[in-house]
Amino acid sequence: MNLDALIPDYVRNFQAYHPSRPDHILQLEYGVPFLNRLNNNENPLGPPPAAARVIAAFTPDRASLYPNGDSYDLRQALGDRIGIAPDRFLVGNGSCDVIASVIKAFCQLGDNIITADKTFAVYEWVAEFSGIEARLVPLLGYTFDPQAILDRIDDRTKIIFVCNPNNPTGSYWKRQVLVDFLEKAGNNLIVVVDEAYREYVEDPEYPDSIDLMKRFPNLVTFRTFSKMYALAGLRVGYLAGNDDVVEVVRQTSVAYSVNVQAQQAALAAISDDHEHIIATRTMVRMAKSFMLAICDNLALDTVSGEGNYMMIKVPINDMMMYRRLMKRGMMVRTMTGFRFPGWIRITLREKSVMELFAEALQKEIKSIQSTGRTW
Amino acid sequence: MIRHSFQKKNIFIRLPFSADFLTLAMAFADKGARGFGYGDRETGGLVLAIEELFSFYERESTKGSTVEIEMEDQGYRLVLSLFFCLADPDMRAFNLTWNVNHDSQESLEMLGPMIAARTLSSLRLEFGADEKVILRLTRNREYSMAERVALPPSGNTSTLRLLNPSRDDLYHFASMAATYGSPFLPPFLARPEMAADMLESGHLNALLVAGDDWIMGGVLWKPLTDSCLELYGPYLFIDNPDDEAMTLLMDEAVKCISRSWFKGLVRRQGALAGHERFFDFLGEIQLSGKNDVNATYYYRQLKEESSGVVYCTGNLAIFLDEQYRRLCLPRQIRTASNLRLRNASVLAVELENARSLAVMRPLCAGKDLDTNIRAHLDLLHGQGIENFIVELDTGRSEDVAFADALEKNSFLPRLLIPDAGLGDLVIYDHCKLNAQS
Ligand SMILES: Cc1ncc(COP(=O)(O)O)c(C=O)c1O
Repeated sequence: MNLDALIPDYVRNFQAYHPSRPDHILQLEYGVPFLNRLNNNENPLGPPPAAARVIAAFTPDRASLYPNGDSYDLRQALGDRIGIAPDRFLVGNGSCDVIASVIKAFCQLGDNIITADKTFAVYEWVAEFSGIEARLVPLLGYTFDPQAILDRIDDRTKIIFVCNPNNPTGSYWKRQVLVDFLEKAGNNLIVVVDEAYREYVEDPEYPDSIDLMKRFPNLVTFRTFSKMYALAGLRVGYLAGNDDVVEVVRQTSVAYSVNVQAQQAALAAISDDHEHIIATRTMVRMAKSFMLAICDNLALDTVSGEGNYMMIKVPINDMMMYRRLMKRGMMVRTMTGFRFPGWIRITLREKSVMELFAEALQKEIKSIQSTGRTW
Repeated sequence: MIRHSFQKKNIFIRLPFSADFLTLAMAFADKGARGFGYGDRETGGLVLAIEELFSFYERESTKGSTVEIEMEDQGYRLVLSLFFCLADPDMRAFNLTWNVNHDSQESLEMLGPMIAARTLSSLRLEFGADEKVILRLTRNREYSMAERVALPPSGNTSTLRLLNPSRDDLYHFASMAATYGSPFLPPFLARPEMAADMLESGHLNALLVAGDDWIMGGVLWKPLTDSCLELYGPYLFIDNPDDEAMTLLMDEAVKCISRSWFKGLVRRQGALAGHERFFDFLGEIQLSGKNDVNATYYYRQLKEESSGVVYCTGNLAIFLDEQYRRLCLPRQIRTASNLRLRNASVLAVELENARSLAVMRPLCAGKDLDTNIRAHLDLLHGQGIENFIVELDTGRSEDVAFADALEKNSFLPRLLIPDAGLGDLVIYDHCKLNAQS
């Protein structure tokens, strides 16, 4: 078989993402009995209690039946909660799934999408392996730059992805910035606002993007149950948009992709999130102020905003810092792949883990500062 | 991300692999090289090489087999590849040194590949699956050396900005780099037209830093192996005490390559002050030649993932353990079982005439490892080669089996380049000859 001849150039040239190996293998390789994950922005408090109960009550016989094909009950519940029609939601196997559906729905060869250079990479990846040009606009400071994005629009631009708040910088557009942007962008393209970390934002000026859809029918919102709701392992996320937009995206998404347990847990999660959100925000706020003080003490620059993560600039290359911290059982995210070489990103977690992390970081920084060497 | 989407310019023939077709093969090389616009020297070198190599390996080939010859013009060089299969090859023939005995006619014939190699810029042997053999002959275009150009005046304090160089920018930058001088000027910077051609053909990437109307410096990179890039520079023509230019260049270069498929970035030039921010230190290798230099090897991992199991024993295991610890690399070293050795071992040699360097890579291990390595050293040394490096790939057990024989022949493991092969590449250099020369 001449496999090479079968592969489109844009697939051949694409650098596939390789997920990390499972913890038990990493532990063996780095020689540590336990790994604290500070790399994926997961919520260590676990899902809201009602969701936890649903998961615990799941019986094996239910695994033999297909789930509902388009997450009917979950969409009803989301509709009640948010106050729009259930048909305006499309639920996916994590929000990454709906990213792919939106690109498939609106883009063909020759089209382009626009996003930032230093943001969540999946928009860029899906575009590239689908043969769609990804135009990457530099951040302004640490924030998406509205004017620079507008300047890159042409008649083949189909989608703009705005990560709000941005992963990894935590910056976000307030309501007025988004409104101005939508007005200038016009409605010949789709503007996606990825709100994966919206539940962490406390600023009253943070936009209600779903409400804005009345004025801007080309606006689409992504949300996920992976972050605040701590259901990352079950893979469930969704998009919301106007009926006709969602109808088109539905055509390019695969039914039955969200499993029974995920649908039920997500449904329970939104019914019982009040206390959970307060507790999580408190945990993140404490972890952030604790880490800011530690970094300040160590004279390390940081970047943080909203969201359960912050970036730290380290005095050695981030890949070496990652490996050194792994040897101490701390798994962070290197930022080279986010185009922030020399930075790491950590998840803001419960006090006990933050203290362990701070201790590991302090030891590493002190040993670097004392020897001036990385070995 | 890096894309190698440039249009391939190549020609191709398939011939019976027999002496009757030698002249056709030579004519292909001759007409092809001229067709691609190369001059007498490049063409002559290639024709001589193909004459020697075709006749040498044709004698080894099975009757009735075919050879495919491809010539690719990469703008700055021609790559002539011979693809053939050997059903039951006498692998020893792939050693440059098989049975060289200056008294016998047969062994004098074995000098064919050696002679061929000297007319080329490099010669490389690759072994594929199903007894496929690939011989890659490369001949660089002849380029003139850089002429002196003006450098930015000292004390220039203009604001620096990054510049994605055009062909002309890079040409000028290379002339500046050559004028400024550096013991680590790669051949393509000493020949500005070559750098410009490489940039244009996608074989070289570069990023410059400019201020006012001056180019103040730059950094370049190109593939070293399939999984690893090599970085050249940063070359800076100004005093920039707070390292602003260097940081600008390095950070931007890493950003450009961070989403490529390469796993690592290597720098093999002199010591780099403040390297910790960008690189891990790997080690040093002394190359003798016109002006002796220490090549300091630095490395930067580009992907979080890096792991592996290495089967080995003895001093290599001790060396690796030390290096893996020092570099915090997640590896498991396990004791190797005794490899059942064939009779004959095979070493592939890549000759780099400009640096008087022979890079040897094991192809298969055999009982004659020790004598084979010695024979290679003697032959190559006799040909005036001064520097010897052996690369062992920890991902191949046949490679690791060479470790003891290398040590017996005064080769010492100096450093390792993580993830640069199937596993890591362990670089041995030869202490005795280096010490003498
Ligand atoms: C900004 C952003 N969007 C989307 C996702 C993906 O979420 P999901 O788990 O729903 O696929 C992430 C996860 O890290 C994220 O950071």
